[in-house]
Amino acid sequence: MTPNDKLFDVIIVGAGHAGCEAANATAKMGFKTLLLTIDFNNIAFMPCNPSLGGPAKANLVREVDALGGLMGRVADLAHLQFRELNTHKGPAVRALRAQMDKRRYQEIMQHFLEKEKLISLRQGEVVSLKRTGEYWRVIMSTGVQYETTAVILATGTFLRGLVHIGLHSFPSGPLGQHPANALSEFFQAEGLCFRRFKTGTPARVRKRSLNFSAMIEQPGDHLPYGFSYWIPWQEREQVSCWLTYTNASTHQIIRDNLDRAALFSGAITGVGPRYCPSIESKLINFPQKERHQVFIEPEARYTDEMYVSGASTSLDEEIQDIFLRTIPGLENVEIVRPGYAIEYDVIPSNLLTPSLALKDWPGVFFAGQINGSSGYEEAAAQGIMAGINAGLYLKGEEPFILRRDEAYIGVLIDDLVTKDTLEPYRIMTSRAEFRLSLRQENANHRLTDYGYKYGLISEEEYELFQAEKNRIQQAFDFLNHHHLSPDTPQAEALFKEKGVTVKKKTAFRELLRRPEISYSDFADPETHGLKQREIEVIENAIKYQGYLEREKKMADKLRKMEMKRIPPDFDYNQVPNLSTEAKEKLTNLRPVTLGQASRISGVSPADISAILIWLSRR
Amino acid sequence: MIDNDTISAISTAQGAGGIGIVRVSGKDAFKIGEKILRHPSGKPIQTWPERRVRLGIVVQTGQRVLDEVVFFTFKGPKSYTGEDILEIQGHGGMENLQLILAATLEAGARLAEPGEFTKRAFLNGRLDLAQAEAVIDLINAQTELAHRVAVNQLSGGLSQILHEIEGKLFKILVPIEAALDYPEEDIPPLEKEEALNIIRSVKAQIRTLIDQAERGRILQETATVVLAGRPNVGKSSLLNTLLNEERAIVTPIPGTTRDFVTETIDLQGLPLRIVDTAGLREIDDPIEKEGVNRSWELIKKADLILFIIDSTLGLSVEDRDFIKEIYQSVHRRKLLFVLNKSDLPAKINPTEVNSIYPDEKILSISALTREGIEELKQTIRSELMGEDFSPEHPILVTRLRHKKALEKTKELLAQVEDGLKSGISEDLIAFDLRDAIDSMGEITGRSVNEDIINAIFSQFCVGK
Repeated sequence: MTPNDKLFDVIIVGAGHAGCEAANATAKMGFKTLLLTIDFNNIAFMPCNPSLGGPAKANLVREVDALGGLMGRVADLAHLQFRELNTHKGPAVRALRAQMDKRRYQEIMQHFLEKEKLISLRQGEVVSLKRTGEYWRVIMSTGVQYETTAVILATGTFLRGLVHIGLHSFPSGPLGQHPANALSEFFQAEGLCFRRFKTGTPARVRKRSLNFSAMIEQPGDHLPYGFSYWIPWQEREQVSCWLTYTNASTHQIIRDNLDRAALFSGAITGVGPRYCPSIESKLINFPQKERHQVFIEPEARYTDEMYVSGASTSLDEEIQDIFLRTIPGLENVEIVRPGYAIEYDVIPSNLLTPSLALKDWPGVFFAGQINGSSGYEEAAAQGIMAGINAGLYLKGEEPFILRRDEAYIGVLIDDLVTKDTLEPYRIMTSRAEFRLSLRQENANHRLTDYGYKYGLISEEEYELFQAEKNRIQQAFDFLNHHHLSPDTPQAEALFKEKGVTVKKKTAFRELLRRPEISYSDFADPETHGLKQREIEVIENAIKYQGYLEREKKMADKLRKMEMKRIPPDFDYNQVPNLSTEAKEKLTNLRPVTLGQASRISGVSPADISAILIWLSRR
Repeated sequence: MIDNDTISAISTAQGAGGIGIVRVSGKDAFKIGEKILRHPSGKPIQTWPERRVRLGIVVQTGQRVLDEVVFFTFKGPKSYTGEDILEIQGHGGMENLQLILAATLEAGARLAEPGEFTKRAFLNGRLDLAQAEAVIDLINAQTELAHRVAVNQLSGGLSQILHEIEGKLFKILVPIEAALDYPEEDIPPLEKEEALNIIRSVKAQIRTLIDQAERGRILQETATVVLAGRPNVGKSSLLNTLLNEERAIVTPIPGTTRDFVTETIDLQGLPLRIVDTAGLREIDDPIEKEGVNRSWELIKKADLILFIIDSTLGLSVEDRDFIKEIYQSVHRRKLLFVLNKSDLPAKINPTEVNSIYPDEKILSISALTREGIEELKQTIRSELMGEDFSPEHPILVTRLRHKKALEKTKELLAQVEDGLKSGISEDLIAFDLRDAIDSMGEITGRSVNEDIINAIFSQFCVGK
């Protein structure tokens, strides 16, 4: 008999951004949760950029928040700076980006987790899992054993982590943490074949050694909102970032020393991301570019440590010193920690289902960077989904899978389990077929009902959401039922201010479709109790109505393909029309639906037609 | 192989011919051959060497000899359908071929469904979707020119152009997308003028394809040329003259109705259905009136109307009324005035007609002496296919589905153009561009859905 204190419903391995969200989800669903971390000091740690958000990523943060996750709230409480990007490129791609006080972020996240009575936080390294009856025995390096029904592996880059700095390499987790090798060896012994990915970071430097007068200041914006839908927004005292550029001499030094970069010396076998390349890769891939941006970002409010964004590198530590000093403002730079590249194990996409469960391992889920993604936001999104699905598994209910037209989370996970990802995956707006619908301001309208249904959204929060919905409904009623007639003072005012002529009696709603008109032209939103974000919800729904309807039509079409299920035992070899590549990939990935099959790279529409005909004739 | 059963059908067109083919495909094809084929001597056939033409006789189960035939076999997967195939060439004549077909069915084959041979070829990986569509066109192609176009499409000419267009559009789309996703990187802003130039050139390219599509349709489906005019102006003699000059195409479509005489000719590669309408006149007799009404239906649908005028009588009031009515009732008229009987003293000449109807083309001919017939033929051809048409300029778009997709693409590109000009936000420009690219994908097969596939296979006739 396992004693009660060693018995859990869910055990989550890893307390990074995926693990924290997963633990919050399972606890909110009422399950006794153990959150294990290899280092108690590093819960919700950000080993890379001290920032969250940006295009598509901000949408993920909002979506996680709308489902009842923690990332958005913590970010709002721990920010050093908020900016709004793409403000002139349309609402679909408008994006919040926030600099984080890394230390405060960790503290607040830990506080949120510690508040949850059903979460136990504990330090320790998992070395293996053992199936005993209906349970999993989770075995620690110290010999301690826990028993659980569900396991979520959110081990980030720790599995067989290998850090490279120049020609030196050593087993390590990110930023000098202890790697997890035993667990990786266990899974390999069980027949799981990992692939190796690579990522990297730049050096951290000392603030007092920098000359900011040679750089361009990047102050924050004063915004009427942060990420979270649930906590009152309060701007904190903002801290600036700084922009500077590399130059010809920087590039010369790097080029002369490429043989001392792990990435090009042959030391690294892992595949690196195109999305945040090292400075040496940038120079090799874009030799014509004369300079590259370098952002100096604070790591926290009360630290002298600064992050050199854009100069990620696997070069020798000595060379890092030299090339950084060629950059304006960094002439006397003191490095605090050198940049490094890290290689780690990643689970191939074909082993995971759309609910992030490991195929043929009942109750075992994977979330975060181990699944081949990169980025804190991507990790958090998978964490909350793996958490909800582990909870549903425990309840014996159908898994929760978001569609591509519902959320960036849906796009992210569908891509991760479908596409043969050969490099760390970063979410982008271009990956979303329905990006005009998947806006960041309306994530709660897309997802909060789910969050409430699964128990992640509290009654109080749901009431807030209902109130917002009511306000918006009232605003729509107002716009539908009020009209502007020609030759009225209001019409004249509109002409004066916006140059818009009203030719006949027109509903406010109709007028609002015009780009130059805004809600405030008809009424003071504040007297309607509307917040800025809510005005955006209303305006975007009206201004982009035609486009949104087109997206909806496309989504309906896609859903039809999504509803065509492929039997799990379907034998692709019996369909002779399939290309060899398609047969191989389909057999390997076993897509659940025809829609998923159509998105596998190397599977052509002709292949899909063949399967379709084949399925319909059975 | 996809099905266990073996299918059989008559593969040659209906109608009388020297020989006809019965084709059997499937795993039992050779077994069926063993049951129904014998050496001319009557001995059973033991071996089935591939791709060798052999002489034999077809026997019914009761050993009754049906026909002396030539037969050969293809072994799957190297055959049209990818399955074992037995082809039997018997003497033409539907009755005889029906008997051979019946013998194969009795021996264990199943009657093939429409399009089933090509469907099997597609499913067995012998044809891709675009090729399968081109096969439909090949089956339907009536003249050599139409055949050549189908072959051109089969070899991917259209896909190549669309790929090129896609590349051009990507030149605009990709930088927009990059800038949307990486707002803080120094990505050069969209060059509006350059983008507009690309859009305009692509639109022109697509317009050409669409224009060609109209010609493609004519090649594929046969253009209808209606001979209209009062009685006795020489409509039927013109029809006969054209028939004598050009090769008549034998079609299974009934030629003569009570009201019209229809003949299909091959005008230098251009398939034309020429309809001689009932003489157009105002009539009170309800039965004849019905015929006149139907003439008008035909005229409205025609690709080209030849309005015949008897030059010895001049333009009568009746003529003018008809022309007026054509102007009123025919929406997008293609009208050619033909002054017949140029061999006789004329009351009216082309210049005079032209002064009344300045927008129309007027030709003077004699159906009797064939004077002006050559010019008439050239004019018919250029009216239908355009001045610059030549078989060397391949037509790439022959299917309505392709044309519609291209029209949608063009429409979306016009939206992109407007958007660029009016400065709408880039997320919307990207949306329309993506949509435009996707709609081209409906041709290249990237967004093929179930409906399209069903339509393709319902269009196949039996056999190839």
